[in-house]
Amino acid sequence: MRSNISQKILEMAELIQGSFEYDVVVIGGGIAGMEASLDLAEMGFKVLLVEREPTIGGKMFLLSKVFPTLDCASCISTPKMAAVAHHPNIDLWTYSEVTRIDVKGKGDFEITVLRKPRFVNEELCTGCGTCEEVCPVVLPKEYDYGLRGRKAAYIPFDTAVPKKAVIDIDNCIFCGQCERECPAGAIDFTQKPTIYKIKAHAIIITTGYRLFPAERKEQYGYGKIPNVITAMQMERLLSPTRPFNSVLRPSDGKEPSSIGYVLCVGSRDKTVGNPRCSQVCCMYSIKQAQLILGALPLADVTIYCMDIRAYGKGFEEFYQKAKAMGVKFVRGRVAKIEELPSGNVRVVYEDIDDGKVNSAEHDLVVLSVGLLPSNDSIISIIHGAKIAVDDLGFIRVDPSAPTQTNIEGIFAAGCATGPKDIPDTILEAASAAARCAAYLKSLKQERMIPVEVVSNGKK
Amino acid sequence: MVLKKSNPQILIFTTNIISDPGVCSAGLMHLSYPAQTTMIKVPCSSMIRPEWILLALESGFDGVFVAADGTDCPYLTDCTDKTARRVKEAQELLSDRGIEPERVKMAAICSVCGEAFVRLVNDFYSRLMELGPIKVKTHEK
Amino acid sequence: MERSDKIRIGVYVCHCGGNISDVVNVKRVVDEVRKEKGVVVAKDFMFMCSEAGQKLIENDIRSGKVNAVVVASCSPRLHEATFRAAIARAGGNSYMYYHVDVREECSWVHENDKEEATNKAIRQVRAAIAYLRHAEPLSRIRVNCERSVLVIGGGIAGLRTALDLAESGLTVYLVERTPFLGGNAAKIGNVKVFPYEKTAIDVVRELIERLRKMSNVAIYTNAEVENVSGYVGNFDVTIKVNPRYFRGKPNGREVEELRKICPRKARDEFSYEVSERTAIMFPPFNGTYPEIPAIDMALCDKCGLCTKMSDKIDLSQEPQIVHLKVGAIVVATGFKPYKPEKSEYGYGLPGVITLQELVGIINRYGDVVINGRRPRSIAFIYCVGSRQRRVDGKKANEYCSRYCCIAALDVAVAIKEFLKDVKIYHVVRDVRSYGINELLFEEASKQGQVIIKYDVDEGEPQVTYINGKPIVKVKDVLTEHMELELPVDLVVLVTGMEPSDGTVNIAEKLKISRGTDGFLQEVHPKLRPVETMLSGIFIAGTAQAPRGVGETLASASAAAAKVMSLVLKGYTELEPFVAFVDQDSCRGSGLCVSECPYGAIVIKEYAGSKKAWVNEVLCKGCGACVAVCPSGAVQLRGLRNVQIEDMIRAAGGAHD
Repeated sequence: MRSNISQKILEMAELIQGSFEYDVVVIGGGIAGMEASLDLAEMGFKVLLVEREPTIGGKMFLLSKVFPTLDCASCISTPKMAAVAHHPNIDLWTYSEVTRIDVKGKGDFEITVLRKPRFVNEELCTGCGTCEEVCPVVLPKEYDYGLRGRKAAYIPFDTAVPKKAVIDIDNCIFCGQCERECPAGAIDFTQKPTIYKIKAHAIIITTGYRLFPAERKEQYGYGKIPNVITAMQMERLLSPTRPFNSVLRPSDGKEPSSIGYVLCVGSRDKTVGNPRCSQVCCMYSIKQAQLILGALPLADVTIYCMDIRAYGKGFEEFYQKAKAMGVKFVRGRVAKIEELPSGNVRVVYEDIDDGKVNSAEHDLVVLSVGLLPSNDSIISIIHGAKIAVDDLGFIRVDPSAPTQTNIEGIFAAGCATGPKDIPDTILEAASAAARCAAYLKSLKQERMIPVEVVSNGKK
Repeated sequence: MVLKKSNPQILIFTTNIISDPGVCSAGLMHLSYPAQTTMIKVPCSSMIRPEWILLALESGFDGVFVAADGTDCPYLTDCTDKTARRVKEAQELLSDRGIEPERVKMAAICSVCGEAFVRLVNDFYSRLMELGPIKVKTHEK
Repeated sequence: MERSDKIRIGVYVCHCGGNISDVVNVKRVVDEVRKEKGVVVAKDFMFMCSEAGQKLIENDIRSGKVNAVVVASCSPRLHEATFRAAIARAGGNSYMYYHVDVREECSWVHENDKEEATNKAIRQVRAAIAYLRHAEPLSRIRVNCERSVLVIGGGIAGLRTALDLAESGLTVYLVERTPFLGGNAAKIGNVKVFPYEKTAIDVVRELIERLRKMSNVAIYTNAEVENVSGYVGNFDVTIKVNPRYFRGKPNGREVEELRKICPRKARDEFSYEVSERTAIMFPPFNGTYPEIPAIDMALCDKCGLCTKMSDKIDLSQEPQIVHLKVGAIVVATGFKPYKPEKSEYGYGLPGVITLQELVGIINRYGDVVINGRRPRSIAFIYCVGSRQRRVDGKKANEYCSRYCCIAALDVAVAIKEFLKDVKIYHVVRDVRSYGINELLFEEASKQGQVIIKYDVDEGEPQVTYINGKPIVKVKDVLTEHMELELPVDLVVLVTGMEPSDGTVNIAEKLKISRGTDGFLQEVHPKLRPVETMLSGIFIAGTAQAPRGVGETLASASAAAAKVMSLVLKGYTELEPFVAFVDQDSCRGSGLCVSECPYGAIVIKEYAGSKKAWVNEVLCKGCGACVAVCPSGAVQLRGLRNVQIEDMIRAAGGAHD
C-alpha cells in the first residue's frame, strides 16, 4: 500500500440527516445474505442489504464449480445477485460497512452504516472498464489470492453486481488518466464517505467465513514453498474467470502432472486451536480433483485424508465417482511438507494402510484449509446487549432453534454460525427469513383468523 | 438437403415435468448418447398428434422417440394409454406410406431415468443404422 | 396471428463458463443462426444468467431492436424464469421467449463429438427460432390464492413448518397419519442429542404446545390425505379422519384399568418395537396431542372388554371426511429406519439389535439391559443399510444417511458415561462426525472407545454366533489389516434412513418425483431445495433427504419461507399455457370433451352451431385434447400446432 489516505478520508465522513427505516437489515451479501433478503422481500418486507466489498456474491462467486452437481458457482449465484439488485423491496448498499449496532428495545435497533466512497459516481458509471484499461498502477488482486493483478481503478468482475468501478485510493497515484478517459464523466475524486443511522426492527447476520491461514501450519511450508498452494487458490485456477487458461504451478508455470491434496489443514487439529471439522473440505477437495482430471487428463491426484466425509445428498455417489475416475485416496496424516531442488514437493505422511511413515513426490500440493468465522467486526460493535459466540468465534445458535441468536430480533445464518455447504446455507438463510418474518409479525400483533379444531369425536 | 447415409437423425419428444428432467439427468451424470438427436418439449406426451410423427420422418429425421410420462404423468392417470394410441395411429400412417413402423419408438422416461434413457436411445440409434436412411422424403434440397 | 416479419428475434448463446463452450463451438452457432430469417441480433456471452448477461437482453428489448428472445444455455429448470423476468423488466412480453438447453442436453452428453454437438446446438436454436416466428404476446392468468396451507406430517418438520406458517398469519391444516403428533424425533426420547441444549422430544413438546394455542391452526390426527386436486393457490384436499373410538379423554382410574384389560398385543412403534402395546394406543409421551387414546381397529377383535370398563369408548364411530381448500401444500412425511434383513450382520439373533432399538431400550427401561443384564462390551457396526453396493441390479441404498455416525457416537458416549466399565468398539468405514460433532468423536476417543476401520473392498464385517454370544470378525485397516475377532455381549447395527411408507404413498398420490435414492426430488438441489416440479407443493425434512434434527428444523422453516412468499400476497399467477379453440375451424365433434379428465372443455351452442369452449382456470394445459381434434381447432396457447410443425421442419433441416 502506498498510503493510508483512505483512513484519513473515512474520518471525514458526513452524517446524513434524515429518517431511514427498514424492516430488516441484512449484514453480508454472500449467498446466505442474498437468499434471506430475497425471501423477506418476496414476503413484502423492506430490506437493506449491506455488503463491505464493492460487489455482492461473497465467496461462492469465486468458486469454480459446486459439488455434487458440478454446476458452475457463478451460474447459481449471479441470478440471485441480479434478483437482489432488481427487487423493489431490497435496497443494496455495497462498499458499505456496519460500524455500530445499538440494541434499543424490542424490535428497535439503530444501525450505523458507513458508505465508503468509490470515487466513482454510481449513477453515471456504465461499467465499461475504460478506467481500468488506462490506469497505470498494477497490484495483486485480492479475489485471485495473489495469482493475478488488478489496477487501482477496477471493476471486481465482469459479472459483479453492481457492475461499477471503484478506485483503491490508497494505491492511486492521482495521475488523473481515468478521469480524463471516462466516457461517462463518472470519476469524482471529491466524493466523501457518508454515515447513515438506520432504524430497523430486525437484523440478520450473514457475514460468512474466512479461510484458515495456511501459514500457521508451519510444517506444511505455505508461504515458503512456492508450489504449495491453498484450495482457494486452486479454486481460482479452475474457475471460469480464472487467471490462466490452464492449471499452472507457481514456481515455473509448468502444468502439474502429479498433485497431492492434504485434508484437514486447520481442522481436527488442536495444535492450531480448531478441534472441529470444517464439514466441506472433503467434498471440495474431491470436486477439485474431478475438475483437475477434466482439465489435465493425464494428471494423477492423490488425496491424503483421515476420513472422507461425504454425508449429504448425492455426496457419497460423487465420492464413488471420483474413485472410479482414478483419484487416489491415501489414509494418513501428513506430518511434513518439504521442497525439493526441482521445485517439486515431498509429502511425508504416516500411512495407515501399512503402518509406516512414507513420503511421496508431487509437482504441486494443495492444502485443504478449514473455515473460520468472519465475525470480529460485528461482534465488537453491538451495544446494549452482548451477542453470544462459541469458543471459535462463530455466532452461537442452538440447533433446536436454528438461526436465533441470544439477542431477540437478531438472527444469523450461513457460515457465520458454523461451516456448512451451499445447500445447508440456503436452507438456513431461508429459515432465518421465516423466523424473522414471524418475529416482525409478532411486533405488529395482527389478529389471527379463528378456525375450528377438529379431531374425531370432539370439536 | 443431403443427409449422410451413416448418421440417422432422431427426433425426441420430451415432456416438461417428467421426461425432460429425466433426459437432463443423463446430462447431470455426464453420460453419453449420439448427438444426432434433437429434442422438442411438450407438456404431456398425450399431446402428440400422430401426423407430427409422420411430418418428422418426412422432414429429415430417420426415427422418432417419444419419451413418455408413464405413470408419473402429473395430468392424466391414463397417459400411457393415450400416448400409446397416438403412437399406434402414427405407425398406421407410416405403414400406409411404406415407412417401417419401428421408426417410431415410445418409452416411459421418469424424471431421474437418465441411465435408462441413454440405453434406449443408443439402442434405437443402432437399430436405425441397421434400417438405413428413410426412403420417403418430401423435403430434399 | 403475427406475420413473420413483425417478429424480431434476438438469440443469445451462453458459454456457461466453459460448461457449454468447452464442447459446443458457441461462435459457430451464433454465426450460423444469425442468417436465419427473423433474427436481428445473435450474441454469445460467458454467463447469460448473470446481471451483465441479462442486461444484454434487456438493452436490446428496450431499444426496440428485439421483441422475441431465444437463450441457449443450461436446463430450463434453472433459468427459464430468470430470463422471462428479465424480458418483463425491459418492457417486453415474457412469453415471446424460448429456452434451449445446450448444456444438460448437449455439451454434457456429447463431450466426445464436439462437431456434432455444435450441429445439434444449431438445430435446436433453429427450431426455437421457427417457434418464435409465430409467437404472440401472452399474459399470466391471475387467480386468488387461498391464504391457507396443508402440512402433511406431524413430526418435528411438519410441526416447525406449521408453527412458522401460523405465526405469519396463515391458516394451517396439519394432518398426521398416526393417532399422535411427534414422529420419529419424539422417539429419541430422553437421549440427549449433542450439542443441543434441549432433547429432541422437548423441542417437539414445545412446538406442539405453541401450535395448540394458535387459533388459526387445525390439527387432524389419525387422518390421511385421500385426494388432492386443483392447482397452485387453489388445491382441493380431501382428508379422511379415522375414528379413535373414544368419545373423550378417560380419567386416571379408567386409564389404569384400560391399560390392563385389552388382550390383543402388538409391538409398540413408539419404542421402536422394543416393548409391547395393546390395541388401545395411549398417548406415547407427555405433551403430545391429542391426549385421547385411539383403538387400533386392525388389531382389535371387538371382544368388548374395554367398553365395559369405560363409557368413553364407542366402537361404532365412523370415519369423517373433511374437505379443505388450501393455497399450498408442504410434504413433511419423514423417514423410516432401515430394517436389516434377517441374518444381515446377525440381525434376528439375540444380542444383535439396531441403533433405534437400543434407543428404545434406554427410553423404556432407563438403562441398557439385554436379556436382563447390562452388556460388558458393545460393538457398533456402521453403515447398515447405507453406502451399499449395487449387486446384480438389485436395489441398493448407495447414499450416506448422514445422521448415523453422529447418533451412534452420541449414544455410545452417553452409555460410557453411565456404564463406566463397558468396552465399546466402533466398526466403521469412515467416521462422518462432521462439523462440531467432531468433538463427540474426540470425547469417545478420550473415553477409550476403540475405532476399527474396515475397507469395504476387503470384505464386510461378519457376525457369527458362538455359545450364544455374537462375535464380530473384521479386518482392521488401522492395525495393518489384521483380522480381529471381537466377542461382545451386544452388537448394535447403525442403521440408515429410508423414505417412510407415508413418504412413498404421498409421492404417488400427489405425483411428486422421487430421486434415485428414493427420497422426494427437489427442483434443483442447490438453487431450489424445498420446491418440487409441481407448483405449490413443497417438501421439508427427512422426506427430502436424510439429515439430523437441527438440519430438519432449518429445512422446515425454509419450506415455510417459500410458502409465505407464494401465499401471503393472496393471489398467484398461472402460466398462460392453456388450451383455446379456434371457433371457425371447430366442427363440434366433442372428441376433446371426452379426452379431458378435468371437465375443462365443454360443448356450447354459438349462434346455432355447437362449438367447444375451454374454461381456462380448470385447464391444466396437458394438450391431450390437441392430439384428438380432427380439425386441429383446439390448440395450446404458447405452443400452437403451427409452432410445433415448424420446429420439426426447422430441426429436420428444411429451410423456408
